[in-house]
Amino acid sequence: MLIPCPHCGTRPVEEFTFLGDATVIRPTSLEPSSMDDWMDYVYLRDNPRGNYAEYVQHSGGCRAWLVVTRNTGTHEVHSAVAAKAMKAKP
Amino acid sequence: MSGFRIARGGLIDRSANLNFKFDGKSFTGHQGDTLASALIANGVHLMGRSFKYHRPRGVISAGASEPNALVELREGARREANTRATIVELYDGLTAQSQNRWPSLENDFLAINSLASSIFVAGFYYKTFMWPKSFWEKIYEPLIRKAAGLGTASKEADPDTYEKAYAHCDLLVIGSGPSGLMAARTAARSGARVILADEGSALGGSLLFENEEIDGTTGSTFAQAVISELASMPNVTLMPRTTIFGWFDGNIFGGLERVNDHVAVPPPFEPRQRYWRVHAKRAVLAAGAEERPLVFGGNDVPGVMLASAMRHYANRYGAAAGKSISVFTNNASAQRTAVDLQAHGINIAAVVDTRKNGKIINVKGGKSVKSVSLADGSHFECDAVAMSGGWSPIVNLMCHRGAKPIWNETIAAFTPPDMGSQFTAIGSASGKMLLSECLRGGIAAGTFKGKTPPTPKCRDEAFAIQPFWWVKESTGKAFIDYQNDATAKDLPLANREGYGHVELAKRYTTTGMATDQGKLGNVNAIAILAEAAGKSISEMGTTTFRPMYTPVSFGAFAGPFTGHHFQPVRKTPLHEWCVEQGAVFVETGLWMRSSWFPKAGEDWLTSASREVKATRANVGLCDVSTLGKIDIQGKDAGTFLDKIYCNTFSTLSIGKARYGLMLREDGVVFDDGTTSRLADDHYLMTTTTANAARVMSHIEFCHQALWPEMDVQYVSVTEQWAQMAIAGPKSRATLQKIVDSFTLNDETTPYLVAKDITILGGLTARLFRISFSGEHAYELAVPADHGNMVARAIMQAGQEFGIVPYGVEALSIMRIEKGHVAGGELNGTTTAGDLGLGKMMSTKKDFIGRMMATREGMVDAARQCVVGIKPVDKTMKIRSGGHLLNQNDKPSMANDQGYICSVAWSPMLNMWLGLALLSNGRARHGEVVKVFDGLRGHHYLGEICDPVHFDPKNERLHA
Amino acid sequence: MLRTSALQSVAIQGRFGADKGQPGLMLSVVHPLAIAMVIARKGKSKVLKDALATLKSVNVLWAGPDQYYVQSTVKSETALYIELKTKLANIASVTDQSHGRVTIRISGPKARAVLAKGTPIDLYTEEFPVGKSALTQMAHVGVHLTRTGNDEFTLSVFRGFSESFWEWLTSQSAEFGYQVG
Repeated sequence: MLIPCPHCGTRPVEEFTFLGDATVIRPTSLEPSSMDDWMDYVYLRDNPRGNYAEYVQHSGGCRAWLVVTRNTGTHEVHSAVAAKAMKAKP
Repeated sequence: MSGFRIARGGLIDRSANLNFKFDGKSFTGHQGDTLASALIANGVHLMGRSFKYHRPRGVISAGASEPNALVELREGARREANTRATIVELYDGLTAQSQNRWPSLENDFLAINSLASSIFVAGFYYKTFMWPKSFWEKIYEPLIRKAAGLGTASKEADPDTYEKAYAHCDLLVIGSGPSGLMAARTAARSGARVILADEGSALGGSLLFENEEIDGTTGSTFAQAVISELASMPNVTLMPRTTIFGWFDGNIFGGLERVNDHVAVPPPFEPRQRYWRVHAKRAVLAAGAEERPLVFGGNDVPGVMLASAMRHYANRYGAAAGKSISVFTNNASAQRTAVDLQAHGINIAAVVDTRKNGKIINVKGGKSVKSVSLADGSHFECDAVAMSGGWSPIVNLMCHRGAKPIWNETIAAFTPPDMGSQFTAIGSASGKMLLSECLRGGIAAGTFKGKTPPTPKCRDEAFAIQPFWWVKESTGKAFIDYQNDATAKDLPLANREGYGHVELAKRYTTTGMATDQGKLGNVNAIAILAEAAGKSISEMGTTTFRPMYTPVSFGAFAGPFTGHHFQPVRKTPLHEWCVEQGAVFVETGLWMRSSWFPKAGEDWLTSASREVKATRANVGLCDVSTLGKIDIQGKDAGTFLDKIYCNTFSTLSIGKARYGLMLREDGVVFDDGTTSRLADDHYLMTTTTANAARVMSHIEFCHQALWPEMDVQYVSVTEQWAQMAIAGPKSRATLQKIVDSFTLNDETTPYLVAKDITILGGLTARLFRISFSGEHAYELAVPADHGNMVARAIMQAGQEFGIVPYGVEALSIMRIEKGHVAGGELNGTTTAGDLGLGKMMSTKKDFIGRMMATREGMVDAARQCVVGIKPVDKTMKIRSGGHLLNQNDKPSMANDQGYICSVAWSPMLNMWLGLALLSNGRARHGEVVKVFDGLRGHHYLGEICDPVHFDPKNERLHA
Repeated sequence: MLRTSALQSVAIQGRFGADKGQPGLMLSVVHPLAIAMVIARKGKSKVLKDALATLKSVNVLWAGPDQYYVQSTVKSETALYIELKTKLANIASVTDQSHGRVTIRISGPKARAVLAKGTPIDLYTEEFPVGKSALTQMAHVGVHLTRTGNDEFTLSVFRGFSESFWEWLTSQSAEFGYQVG
């Protein structure tokens, strides 16, 4: 599998480290009532067949964290965007 | 023709004689021969014994699909089992042994299996060796293993080297027959970067052996001209002897280059094989088509051969498969065999064509063909049979990513699926059986831009086929899969017994397994199975095509990364000094760390104990360079660290160090270490050796994915600094002798200070007053290139105080004596509270792990927390892993109270000490528990105590 | 103070490997070398680029998003670090990496063939022109790779891996014959 790193160009998957679901959002509340949100954030993950956005670090290259969207059924990689840039967008 | 060598023609050099040995007997072949062609030319038709029935077998094919002529190539450490004689290039001095026979190929004892063949049907092993269960491991399996199997591997280490490499191209052309050559030439002429790979020793594919006419010349002359042109172009890489064995995501292809398999011993410094990863923008499959056998009685007698293989041997190698030959076919192509062989002066005994209702029922002969008998009752004497059951495009690579091939009625074969423009099939690999179609397809596939160039003129041989699968009238065994001895009857049997699905039938009958993976037999098997199941071939479908197309050696996969090159070795900047001091090293991750520094006659424990005593009495020097060091800067560096650590760093004074504890988001402790503030916007973090890379990655994640709005920069400086711990009552006096122009005392250098200094007359250094040993201690960091020199200077300075080097064993003893937690306790299950560090968790800020650490189960009083443990009988040795139980309880999971994490012999207290995790442990100091050591089958009593075994008031730290 | 190269005892000068006429490549250790890692502060990417362009007697090499290695063979590591700290105050974070990285120069007609045994990067001139840097992995070691000429590259690795990396590099060069200078 090849991943188009926005900084380094296209590189083979061996240079990357996968973390998981990039759509989860870290809760901001520290109130006990928010515990369910925290549990979901830390533990609850979907396992879709189809498009999936994941945090991936280019650990064997520029070390940037990316959000890579790929199809889990076909292994087709649709996009790879720096996590920093992704987050900066509203 | 003398013997079986044809007098003229072909691509062998009759003036170059090569001597070789097969089963100990000497033969002579020529340059350009394969082992198989040389044996045929020497009249050797018996080349192996079959897997199950030990039937005599000869060569069937002339290439990679060969199921029968498997040999052990070479001898000693270079012996390679199950090698196809058809692809072994002959070299002078070659030695090969036949396989799966005892005592000899001519007289094989287990051929008796053939007489018992009525019981050796498909599923025999499943049905027979079911019970009694206890017999399986002791009797059945060893017996089966002895009888079955093919060649034996050399048990010596492989003396040769293997390499890995990457290649990149605009167009990868797989196969160098007419289609491949045209694709490569067309693309190369337009300036594209082209790689042309072919598994054969010479490029040219079918043009090397088929009589063709292209552009008014012979196919072979035409091919040579194209290859010469390609070889002269800088944008073309020709890769003969290279099998493209797999197609992977991202249009990456795996290739195996047999760099030096065609010589006895690779030349100095050269590898035997090279494993390629080819990144291709586009690729074309021009691998050709595989001829299929026909299924009839005795279709495995040595001398029965694929019709195209017979042409191949005669036309390319000048080797005649026989002197009188019968041809059996269901299609037009075998006609060429009759024509070509006749031209070489070989007699054609009969041409039997199923399209004219001709059928060979049985082949007579044991170790060689004697005659054939036909359905119409006629007999023909002959010494070889050429068979053609049609042609199967070699679709394998195009199906490696999960797609299935498509049945084509017209050519009675599976053709490749449409995989888009990145990878296309051309020529006979795509089911185009005419030469003109191959040339045209190649040119189209090689056209990158502009107009398609014209196609060379050529003569086409007609192709027509009427499917015919199985001569059911045969009385002799009719084989489908030669390598697994699967016969035509096995498939209807599989269907009757409920294994009619193509994937189940494969496992049930073993059809399509082993080294050839059904290259010859699968389509015949599918057709027969479909008929038995009352389905069409299209409905039955194929089994799954997976890499590797042909076997790839483990050596090639491993490449150069074997033995001590298996993983890189990481050495500290003080390595040389450690070696000088006689260090014994231990691998910690990739690092080589000095473990202890034995003097003559000392074992590890004596050495480590001496190191501890000397350090606690005087002064010791330890290499701590492996600790992770991360430089963190930026306006928000402090705020960022407050998120990362559970305690607060934004309030740390400049020039001070603080112990920090990091949690994971689930509330469990992640890592710890001291972090210093060097300037308002500049911190230096240290991590444990084991977690250095993980912490770096965590920091990068937290900033980039969680808080990118923060102005913070981070970079590893682990390798920039050689770091030394100088510990013990004389550490200050020792250091004083090397620092430049300032006095070390509690005012200039108080506990937890971190400052930039110079030493030895101007050398930059960083000094920290921190301690892991519990002694008055420092850590000194100097730029790595100066590490060994500074360590030597410290040893010299400390000589008058009795300085010793100490290693990680002594370090570990001292931390256990002091109750400092490390890897054994930071084990991915413990919370800050479990470690006795609960108070470090700030309640005034958000940090990673804060919320999850408040969960009920994470703060339960009954949780196991860190305690000290010592044996009640002070002469006893305690060991890690022992489980703690209440004194009167029996060992069981329900009664489990915790376990011992870390132990050490304490030279200071003269006994074994440990740290343990114990349920509600902090309230149980003084209690006596039972320690159950299930591994060694004994138990003893242990006393729970405060984890700080030695110097409980920390007086030495501030001494 | 005189620095000791991490490869001092292994990178011995001489001719090694196969003897096929001219050596296929030359290997040398670039030492001593002053190296600073420079990372742009938030929002200062452009300002940093401009500031780096004004520096004299240094090489500026891309080393990741908004990150650069600034190298000098004429300045001492301390001088380079202090100069950058001063000139780039509030523009970039600077760290001294002079001792943390070992830089090896590889040149000659077979340089690309040897590198292709390690890196998945396409080193074809049009794809990887002179002056370009990349971060990659070779033989399981992180490498900062720069093309310094048509057939010349520099490879920089963590100091601790340098000996292991040198062993791999020389073993892969041996089939072409190589000269250590």
